[in-house]
Amino acid sequence: MVANSHDSGPRTAYMFFTDQEARTVSAMAERIIPGDSSGAGASDADVIIYIDRALAGYGRHLQKLYRLGTGSIDRLAAATRKGSRFVDLSPAEQDELLSRLSTWLFAKGDEKPDEERTLLVQFFGAVRLHTIEGMFCDPMYGGNRDCVGWMLIGFPGAQWGYTAEQMKLGFDATTIPPKTLSELRQDYRAGKVDTEEVRK
Amino acid sequence: MTKRVDAIVVGLGASGGIIAAELAKAGTKVVAFEKGPDYSSEDFILKHDEIRYFARGAMVPQMDTDPMTWRAGSNQVATLLPWASGPLGLADPLHLPPSLGTGGGSNHWGGAAWRFRASEFRMRSAIIERFGARGLPEGTDIVDWPISYDDLEPYYDRTEWQLGISGRAGNIKGKLIEGGNPFESPRQRDFPMPPLRQGPADERFVEACRRLGFHPFPQAAAIASVEFKGRSGCVYCGFCHGYPCHVNAKTSTMVASIPEGLASGNLEIRPFSRVYKVNRSEGGRRVTGVSYFDAEGTHQELDAGKVVLACYALENTRLLLVSGVNRNGMTGKYFMTHAYGWYAGLMPEWSNPFMAPLTAASCISDHAGELIPDNDLGVVWGSGVTSWPGETQPIEGSRYAPENMPRWGKPYKDWMRENYRRLYSMYAQTSNFPSERYYCDLDPNVKDSFGQAALRITHEWTDHDKASVEFHLGIKRRIAKEMGVQPLWEEPAAPAFHLSTHEVGTHRMGEDPARSVVNAYGETHECDNLYATGGGQFPTYGGYNPTQTIMALAFMTAGHIINRR
Repeated sequence: MVANSHDSGPRTAYMFFTDQEARTVSAMAERIIPGDSSGAGASDADVIIYIDRALAGYGRHLQKLYRLGTGSIDRLAAATRKGSRFVDLSPAEQDELLSRLSTWLFAKGDEKPDEERTLLVQFFGAVRLHTIEGMFCDPMYGGNRDCVGWMLIGFPGAQWGYTAEQMKLGFDATTIPPKTLSELRQDYRAGKVDTEEVRK
Repeated sequence: MTKRVDAIVVGLGASGGIIAAELAKAGTKVVAFEKGPDYSSEDFILKHDEIRYFARGAMVPQMDTDPMTWRAGSNQVATLLPWASGPLGLADPLHLPPSLGTGGGSNHWGGAAWRFRASEFRMRSAIIERFGARGLPEGTDIVDWPISYDDLEPYYDRTEWQLGISGRAGNIKGKLIEGGNPFESPRQRDFPMPPLRQGPADERFVEACRRLGFHPFPQAAAIASVEFKGRSGCVYCGFCHGYPCHVNAKTSTMVASIPEGLASGNLEIRPFSRVYKVNRSEGGRRVTGVSYFDAEGTHQELDAGKVVLACYALENTRLLLVSGVNRNGMTGKYFMTHAYGWYAGLMPEWSNPFMAPLTAASCISDHAGELIPDNDLGVVWGSGVTSWPGETQPIEGSRYAPENMPRWGKPYKDWMRENYRRLYSMYAQTSNFPSERYYCDLDPNVKDSFGQAALRITHEWTDHDKASVEFHLGIKRRIAKEMGVQPLWEEPAAPAFHLSTHEVGTHRMGEDPARSVVNAYGETHECDNLYATGGGQFPTYGGYNPTQTIMALAFMTAGHIINRR
């Protein structure tokens, strides 16, 4: 799978992000779930679109966090390599930086972090959670493009139900083509959903 | 608009949905208020959406509209529920109060249906019989219920046969039935429907339990397993707890109860209405009606001969407190909730954890209540252990990664890819003892958007709670090992949340008006014709899901009100 280049991004306009912010968040998301030969990553799945749409709507209370966070992570990047923003670092350097944030996020302890660190940790936490949501959401939310996130983990999506045969221990669920909620809706409206058939 | 009715019911969930319908069917003119929408089944046909219902808790109250605060002890300042607020606050339904809208929590519940065993109704006596009075943990106020299992049995039966519960009986009038729970208290007859089909990994749980000498049986479910009164049987879609049902198999009062109430012509539902006060006669001795904000936010009043508060233990308590129903100081006391004691692991085969409801599962009651063996941890009241083979959608599944693994990056992605389809878990809700240390009152600082005080919860996990979680984890570890399950993680003995959607106890029922808020029918001692029903009535709390008992109590209350007309 060829990951989208950070420069070109998905073919859309953003409801909330500036282009530069979107590049930064995309780069973070791609480190959180990297694309490679084993399967899709955040860029393949258009996670940035999920996050953008979320921040413009349901998650708009996080707009300030993202705005401040993208600036803050660039300052941290400059401390790694002078003059660099987060997108300018190598993947290994980006991983090292995110490791530090992750350690702070998941640390259990009484040490009270300073304001900048708190901001960065919350920002990383939000991006991490949003990346996962953007990988596995129904595609109508903007992420999980073409169900690549679901196909990565073998999840069949929005199925009306499962048969006894499919529920047998050891059944290979990748034999069930993934269904989006939009497709299920079309099935339902076309009268193609058979509750009795599924109950067998 | 009607200005006076026979009865007002506030909240149309597991309790109110039954009471409102039963009263209406008996000829009582009822107005029922709901904070949320007046749902119909059509609204839920395409519910297969983990973002909407799990990640964003579409049906449950959120902190911005229905704030609630928490603190660990009386010496602390409470804050908005920490696990549900702030940038990383989770909105998922398991750790927030239950759904708003017609049907309430019964729209989205997992449907685990339990009759409390006879000992649960006499926890104080049972503990003293076994351990002496020193067996009652320090600081607790464990009492016997004002009713027995035998008193409630006919209403458990009615819940099962009128609303629809599927399962396999273990003890019919004293005769033990093969394949059911040998430890259940006697029932007059079987369930109206056979158990659900098992989730994929459940058979391994059953085999392992048998080899260990336990007595596994199918989880009884408030989910139709076959067609029931025109409702479809379950289709095992896997979007169950936290989600409404798209085929009406789940026993929500919205489909199982309220339609009959509406058909009588005596029930009027007022959705998007926010009751904010109970009104009383001068001197407060008698209820006169309620004040509420209607759908447009305009202040209204409605008078009634009877008022039933049925909007969850917590919201009931808030309404009682703001209405001054607390003459004896007992309102809000004895907050109790559940820790789930999650044990997660990996199956050797594909377990497909996203298929089937959580109730497509089996349980053991070998250590429940007074059956718990003597143990070094000092646990005096045990719980059942339940298999959880289904309903783990991807975003929830992403939380299952083991603790020592970073929650991001290639190793995490690989872990999800290789292991999501092999996830399996078990849980055991542990008893929570009533204590004056843990209670609800009105927050002095935080208000909701209508200017009314938020409910403040003071609660912390006790040594007994932690010991109980640890004891039952020990059983789960044994079962997991016998199943060949590779361990992943165990929930901490003192979880970070203090809401489990199973809150109870805060308007305790009892016979003594000095030591309780309501009587066995939920009528408040201090204000005639004012009822507060639901889990808030429970004087003690074992390890069972509360809802079937809430439903049985609702039938009992409805019958009492009807007979008194």
